[in-house]
Amino acid sequence: MSSHSLRSVRIAGAGIVSALGEGLAATEASLRQAQSCLGRPDIFPLLQGKSLPAGQALFQEDPASPLPRTHQLALRAAEQAMSGSKGGCAHAPDAVILGCTTGGMLTTETLLLGRAATPSSCRYHGLHTVTAAVASRVRCSGPALTVSTACSSGALALALALRLLRSGRAKCVLAGGVDSLCRLTFFGFHSLQLVDADGPKPLDRRRRGMAVAEGAAMLLLSTAEEDVEGVEDLAFVELLGAGLSCDAHHPASPHPQGDGALAAMRSALADAGLNPQDIDYINLHGTGTVENDLAEARAIQRLFDGAAVPPLSSIKGASGHSLAAAGAIEAVVSALALSRGFIPANTGFEEFDPALDLNPQKHVQDKPLHALLSNSFGFGGNNAALVLARVGAFQPPAEPAAPLPALAVHGCACLTGAGDLAATLARLEAGQNCTGRVDEAASCASLPPKQIRRLKRLARLSLSLAAEVLPEEERTSVHSIFMGTGWGALSETADFLARLEESGQQFPSPTDFIGSVHNSPAGQIALFLNARGANVTTSGGEQSFEQACFSAQLLACQGERSALLLAADEAHASWSPMLDASFGPENTGPGSAPADGGGILWLKRQRQGAMALIRHCLLYSSPEAMPQLPADLGGEGDLCSRIGLVMAGFSQQEHDLAQVQLQSLHQICGTDVPVWFYRDALGHFASASAVAAALAVSFLQRGTAPACADGTGRPLDLSNKSVLLLGLGQSLSAIEFVRP
Amino acid sequence: MDTLIEELKGKLISLLNLPDLTPETFDPDARLVGGELGIDSIDVLEMVVMVEKDYGVLINNQEVGQQVFASLRTLAVHIHEHHEHQEHRPAGKS
Repeated sequence: MSSHSLRSVRIAGAGIVSALGEGLAATEASLRQAQSCLGRPDIFPLLQGKSLPAGQALFQEDPASPLPRTHQLALRAAEQAMSGSKGGCAHAPDAVILGCTTGGMLTTETLLLGRAATPSSCRYHGLHTVTAAVASRVRCSGPALTVSTACSSGALALALALRLLRSGRAKCVLAGGVDSLCRLTFFGFHSLQLVDADGPKPLDRRRRGMAVAEGAAMLLLSTAEEDVEGVEDLAFVELLGAGLSCDAHHPASPHPQGDGALAAMRSALADAGLNPQDIDYINLHGTGTVENDLAEARAIQRLFDGAAVPPLSSIKGASGHSLAAAGAIEAVVSALALSRGFIPANTGFEEFDPALDLNPQKHVQDKPLHALLSNSFGFGGNNAALVLARVGAFQPPAEPAAPLPALAVHGCACLTGAGDLAATLARLEAGQNCTGRVDEAASCASLPPKQIRRLKRLARLSLSLAAEVLPEEERTSVHSIFMGTGWGALSETADFLARLEESGQQFPSPTDFIGSVHNSPAGQIALFLNARGANVTTSGGEQSFEQACFSAQLLACQGERSALLLAADEAHASWSPMLDASFGPENTGPGSAPADGGGILWLKRQRQGAMALIRHCLLYSSPEAMPQLPADLGGEGDLCSRIGLVMAGFSQQEHDLAQVQLQSLHQICGTDVPVWFYRDALGHFASASAVAAALAVSFLQRGTAPACADGTGRPLDLSNKSVLLLGLGQSLSAIEFVRP
Repeated sequence: MDTLIEELKGKLISLLNLPDLTPETFDPDARLVGGELGIDSIDVLEMVVMVEKDYGVLINNQEVGQQVFASLRTLAVHIHEHHEHQEHRPAGKS
């Protein structure tokens, strides 16, 4: 590892592939030409006449690879990023963080149309499989996080990387965003009437919409001096700050006055220790839709409050809007602008719009830059702003005096086939299992009908969990939301694509498209609670809850306000068996009936009055990290006496590997520690570990766990003990809950 | 026209999943969008798709849209007028 730690987070390598070209040199050349790179997409057939313009990446897929286009795009960008320094980065990154919205969707769509979608053919559907492919390629065995907050995903991934590096838990992180074009997003944005048939004209008075695009960008961020030594390209650029916010205003439209955008920019500047006047260029989100550009312009006018607004531009008139990749692509573009000293042009702009009162950069201009803002906003009211600067131009912010205290759990709830937490506990105490689908009508009975009329199953279950865990008077105290989901909103996704096919690509439902994004449920919770802080959705397969927990540790409850940490999944009649091998007919073991539900924890930093504390949250992307686990949990000696119960979860397909892993744990902790395979009792679904987490907190508070958790048939005494929630299989996780 | 209004009431209640609303209580002259019915811009898009699919009438301009969706009656009138222009063509293109 590194000999010397830098105070700043530097760019040790960057990779980019988009409609602008592949690699830094081609991207810069394209930016300097400032021409539209949009055209008619040819990666899926269009059945109805004239196509809308789209930003297809200049990228040839490897036809021999089984990996979908998204994975290949991400791998290409990752490989470039890793070869940034002379001879390439010498070691694997400590973590990979990737933003993505549609994963292997393009492949799945084609399989569905050919009636050939099976768990085997769709094995690369999940967003987490993209991150896993990248982590494997760069030999990372540490945390591999997948975040999915629609069009702010790429910027969120970089914001999380910055927090992780500052925490000292990692010294080198590969982070970025990726999305390939697919029917869902191409026709989805069209159904919202958000696409300009003549190409996007960001900030122009005549603007009528965006162009959907694709691409990938990855940045190798490092605080280790040796990683940036010899790096020629972008090593003189640092990621200085990041700000996140949620509008809590509307599922798809921005706040009309740009409240959330303003909050994110202010927060990023404060994080970087800069004033608005320190910024000499703003890379806009600037999609070219009427509402986005208006909200963003108002936010910028409010940020500068009458003072001169610095040069600004959106590159999306040239590149299109590559959704989850956009924030990362534009971070790379921003780094290029800083490093080479130029301001990119706002391609497509001609007519000044008095409503915006902004004059974007019409032509490329050579100019030394010191610090800039890069904005990314998305559905669910998710906003992210990044501050990048030339190294040495500004002092990186001073490190906080002490690390934040552990997250304290002040409430827990769950939904299972048995019902709520009380019903679930009662069933377990009676020695029965809680598998099966949640009774949706019963769980939503207390929610206002108008609030849920447009919501389908996953968003409804998620809102029910939020309503359940919070005392009524505490609903306004929640600031940030961290949600995991293995598969996202399957009902909306399935319904959108079914109607798209039935109507010959003409009449899919716009409501379904808005609801189909993975972060739609967390956005609904933010609306319900008016929660305007960070709003993070992770999708890490079976590790989704754990990744949300990891994100919460980095971002939640910086002040007095509270946060929600949850994960949920829905069992869908056709899509769950198609995607999740746990649902397959070949699985006949305990708990193999279709099951869904989720669990939720209410978090603060205050230990007083807490039910439990989260002492550790460890993630690994490779099974080979197993021997490392005891040491990372604080040492072997203490473990045996400390842990009162291990709650172990793994998918049925990884049973054999999990058994081997458990044996190695027994060798360290001794065989006396009871191990409860909770999925047999709760059901095999991706978010079952969130239910287990709610149960673990509940067990600790009561000081006892039901007999089913012990092999002996007696209730288990947990006084003065901790509970270890262990995720086994190809990826590993461990969350330790302790009494306060 | 009254038949069309009644038909649209049923379609909107089911399409937009409007709670507590029945064809009897659905006032065709009440403000359709942004009023007490709770109908917003997403619902407008959903109605645009339905009107094109079921009646073959295209609404893709925001100013036209605001007038058309002023009330259930204005929507019915718009469909009636434009549907007649296209009567030689089958409703719905698919």
